[in-house]
Formats: sequence, C-alpha cells, structure tokens
Amino acid sequence: MEVIYNNFERLIVSTSQIQKSLYFCAGNQLQSMASSFEKYQKRRLISSYFSVVISISLVLFLLGLLGLLVLNTKKVADHFKEKIALTVYLKDTAKEVEITQLKQSLALAEYTKTAEYISKEQAAEEHSATIGENFMEFLGYNPLQNSIDVYLLADYVSPEKLEEITTELISKNFVDEVVYDKPLIALLNDNVKKISLWVLIISSLFTFIAVLLINSSIRLSVYAKRFTIKTMQMVGATKRFIRRPFIWKSVKLGMLGAVLAMIGMALVLYYLNKTFPQLQLLQDKVMIGALFAFIFLMGLFITWLSTYFATQRFLNLRTDELYY
Amino acid sequence: MPETVLSLKNASVFQRENLILSDVNVTVEKGEFVYLIGKTGTGKSSFMKTLYGDLPLTKGEGNIVGYDLPTLKENDIPFLRRKLGVVFQDFKLLNDRTVKNNLLFVLNATGWKDKAAMDTRIDAVLDKVAMKTKSFKYPYQLSGGEQQRVAIARALLNDPELILADEPTGNLDPQTSVEVMEVLQEINKNGNTILMATHDYALLLKYPSKTLKCDENQIFEVVQKTV
Ligand SMILES: Nc1ncnc2c1ncn2[C@@H]1O[C@H](COP(=O)(O)OP(=O)(O)O)[C@@H](O)[C@H]1O
Ligand SMILES: [Mg+2]
Repeated sequence: MEVIYNNFERLIVSTSQIQKSLYFCAGNQLQSMASSFEKYQKRRLISSYFSVVISISLVLFLLGLLGLLVLNTKKVADHFKEKIALTVYLKDTAKEVEITQLKQSLALAEYTKTAEYISKEQAAEEHSATIGENFMEFLGYNPLQNSIDVYLLADYVSPEKLEEITTELISKNFVDEVVYDKPLIALLNDNVKKISLWVLIISSLFTFIAVLLINSSIRLSVYAKRFTIKTMQMVGATKRFIRRPFIWKSVKLGMLGAVLAMIGMALVLYYLNKTFPQLQLLQDKVMIGALFAFIFLMGLFITWLSTYFATQRFLNLRTDELYY
Repeated sequence: MPETVLSLKNASVFQRENLILSDVNVTVEKGEFVYLIGKTGTGKSSFMKTLYGDLPLTKGEGNIVGYDLPTLKENDIPFLRRKLGVVFQDFKLLNDRTVKNNLLFVLNATGWKDKAAMDTRIDAVLDKVAMKTKSFKYPYQLSGGEQQRVAIARALLNDPELILADEPTGNLDPQTSVEVMEVLQEINKNGNTILMATHDYALLLKYPSKTLKCDENQIFEVVQKTV
C-alpha cells in the first residue's frame, strides 16, 4: 500500500497532467458512489412497496374469489328454490270470474315467479300419460280438480313465508287446498343456512387474516420511517400533516393491489365462464360489479386504516421511546 | 423593559419517574446567548426536551415563548415548536430529500402557501449559514459541519423567538465546531435568542457569554472565571 502510494506521489509530482486526471477519477468515483447510494435507496423503497402491493393484491384476490363463491352459492340455492311449486286446488264450485281474478292476482303477486293454470282436463291428461292408462274410463268421471301451480321467487321460499301465503290463499272460499312439499323446503332451507353460515365464517376469518397481513406489511414500511416521523414532529409539523403523505402513499399502493386483484378475478371469471358456461357466472352483472367495487373499497379502507394506526403509534411516542 | 422568552420557577425535570433536575429557576431574555454546560448525563438534554415539549413539566412553573409548560396540551406542541428553533447534536435532517426539500417540508408543515415567498425564505436562511450553493444536495452528501449549518438554517425558517441548540457541535471536530459557532454568534448578533447546551469548554472560553451549569440535579448560573 505504502509503495503504491509513494509511486502515486512520484507520478503526481512528475506530471501535473496525471495529477489532473487522477483528481478527475476521484471526483467521478465520488459522484458515482453518491448516485449508487441513491439507486440503492430507491431499490430498497421499491422492494418494500412491492411486498406491500403483493400482499394486498393476493389477499384481496382470494377474498374476491370467496365473494364469487358466496354469490354463486346463493345462485345455485335460488335455482333449486325456484323449481319448487305451490299448488292451489280450486273447488269445482268456483266461478269462472273468481278463477280469472285469482289467476291474475297470483300472477301479479310480489312472491310469484310464474303462475300456471291447469284445468282438471289438462291434469287428467297429464296424469293418464304418467300412469299409462286412462283412469277416467273405469272411474266414469274426473276426480281431479282445477288448480294453479305457483312457482315462487327464491327469497319467498321459506317455511314461514310459505305458511303466510298458504293462509292467505286458503281463506278464499273457492280455494279447496294449498299443497307444497313441506319437508323438502325445510331441508333445503336448513342446508342453505348451514352452507351460508360456513361461507360467512370462512369469509370473516379470511377478511380478518387479510387485514392482519396488510396491516403488518404496512406497519413494517412505516416502522422504517419512524425516525423521520419524529424529526418531522420536532420541526413543528402536526400529526395530521405528517400522517397525510403516509396515508396517501399506502392508499395508492392499496389501489394498485386492488386493481391487480380485480384483474386476477376477471381472469378467473373469464376462464370459469368459458369452461362451465352452464353456471352462467356472468349473468348477474350488478352483483359482480358490486363485488369488484367491494374489493376495491376494501383495498382503500384496509390500507387507510392500517396506515393511520401505524403512523399514529409513532406519532404518540416520545423520541426516547423509539429506542425502547 | 426586556422581554422574557423563557422562565422556569422551582421546576423539576423527570425522565419517567426519575428526578433529573429539581428546583430549576431560569430566565432567558430576548436577545441573549446563554450556555448550558455540564458533564454528560447531568440532564442538559432532558432540560431541553422539557422546553420543547418532548418531556412533560409536571412540577413547578414554566413559560416558554408564551406557552405555559405545565398545562401544555399535546395539540399545542407543534405550535410551540414553530416558535422555537431546535438544533440537535445529530442534525436530524430528513435523509430522503435534498437540503432544499428539507426546508420546504418545514415551510409546508408550518402553513406557508406562497411558493415565491417560500423560495425567498429558503434562500435567505441558507445564505445566513453560507449553504446557498448546496441546496440541491442530499444530507448524506454533506459534511457534518455543513449538515449542522443546514439544521441551523432550518431552525431559522420561522423566525423563532428562541433557538434551542442541544450540543450542536457535539459531533464535530474542533475546527468545524468553531465554524458552526460563528454562525450561531452571527445569528445572535442579528437579534435571535439562543440557548445552547454544550460540554465543550473551549468554545465557552472563545465566545464568553451568560452561562448556566447543570450539576448534581441543579441548574445555577456561573461566572465565566469560575468555570
Ligand atoms: N429515555 C430515558 N429514560 C430514562 N432515563 C433517561 C433517559 N434519557 C436520559 N436518561 C437519564 O437522564 C439523565 C440525564 O440525561 P441527559 O439529559 O441525556 O444528559 P445530558 O444531555 O446532559 O448528557 C441521565 O442520568 C440518563 O441516564
Ligand atoms: Mg445530551
């Protein structure tokens, strides 16, 4: 080292030109050191943002998939519920006008999806077709009644609602009987409740984990700035003023994460829809739109809240307490 | 009649529940340059922290630039600090931004709106500490003395009624210390009141001024000769 240094010295003494170029080199090196430090800082910053965005988008993506599942459990359940018919049997003494009126009012009722009038002749024909012989021939008369089959909207297919509708209909004196498959409806409702409960439990658990995960990665990135936060307070900045840029930054990351999650969801929806078109996944555009909006708002809300609390934590500490 | 910017009566300074200083009676008048000397660990920093609201004053009376310290509310602290200029031993510049942006941050944080006025102000304070040409540099590209000069410029931004400097030369070599000291002296000549904690007795001899000493849980005024 000494020798090299001495050599340098001799060179410098001998030619001023080399001296100049040496200085030039040193200056260059200094400059490149500073800029590589900046680059290093920037890289570190970007990588910490990167992990926040990734965790946000992953978690929101999974939450979105769960949301799709929730939407579709309801859809499948509704599909079955709307296959269940309520049959209103009419007395033979019922007048033509009364029947027409009932038909109309049933067709217009809020709980009706479709209502179909089946005359006793029609019923007999169908019945004969199913049993394979004309039973009226040996009976000599038609024992069946005129009836109306009411298919209900899914939301009204519950034991209580059906009971209500039945009592309302039976009170009419020309209505003989109202019939539906009670045990089936009880079972269906029970299962739907059970499944919904589990989906709800899993969803809330998932949301909770989502909040924790996003919260911890945001806290980490705020923690890295704890001394900056303290210094800002020392020069007279209010808590609000210091918090604002932190929140804005995280909310931007949250939005980015949410957009990535939504792109993921859109792709999954696209491929599922292509593979299983019979599921009609894209049918309910409003619900899907609401789900996407929900995911986006979750991204905003979680990042906003976690950043608020993470910065508040350090804002409320005294300087010394940063070291404890 | 001289204006009092700082007065403490029978005040005690605590770190958590530990009593660091008791029966503190101090007044600082506008325009003064006051040293606070004492060995390391005697409580100079704790005293300063009490003054800028980083430690609560729970016992005794105290008034600083119009704020009553015992009844100081959390929400008042930023506004108290705007009337003070605080300079630290470790500079405490924001390392993620340039000198100019460090100063801009303070102006933005303290309610300045007029861009042109902000630029003028930044130029003026950097000029006072002879750092005008380096406003584009990052703190880590500056020497310790330069960083401290920037920190002093930052403290000057809002025309503070009192500058609190806690060992501003503590991290600097003797020659750079003198440079920084010259800046502080110059500022004081221009009318700023300065309270400076230090354990650098050489500076005291070179720039004599009113001196308070921290020792054995007490603060008392000393006459230069007996230092
Ligand atoms: N955060 C703290 N918690 C508890 N005790 C502290 C803390 N900071 C300082 N002290 C104690 O307070 C005393 C004064 O410290 P300090 O005010 O830093 O002195 P100086 O600035 O004069 O060196 C020391 O005895 C130190 O141990
Ligand atoms: Mg100290």
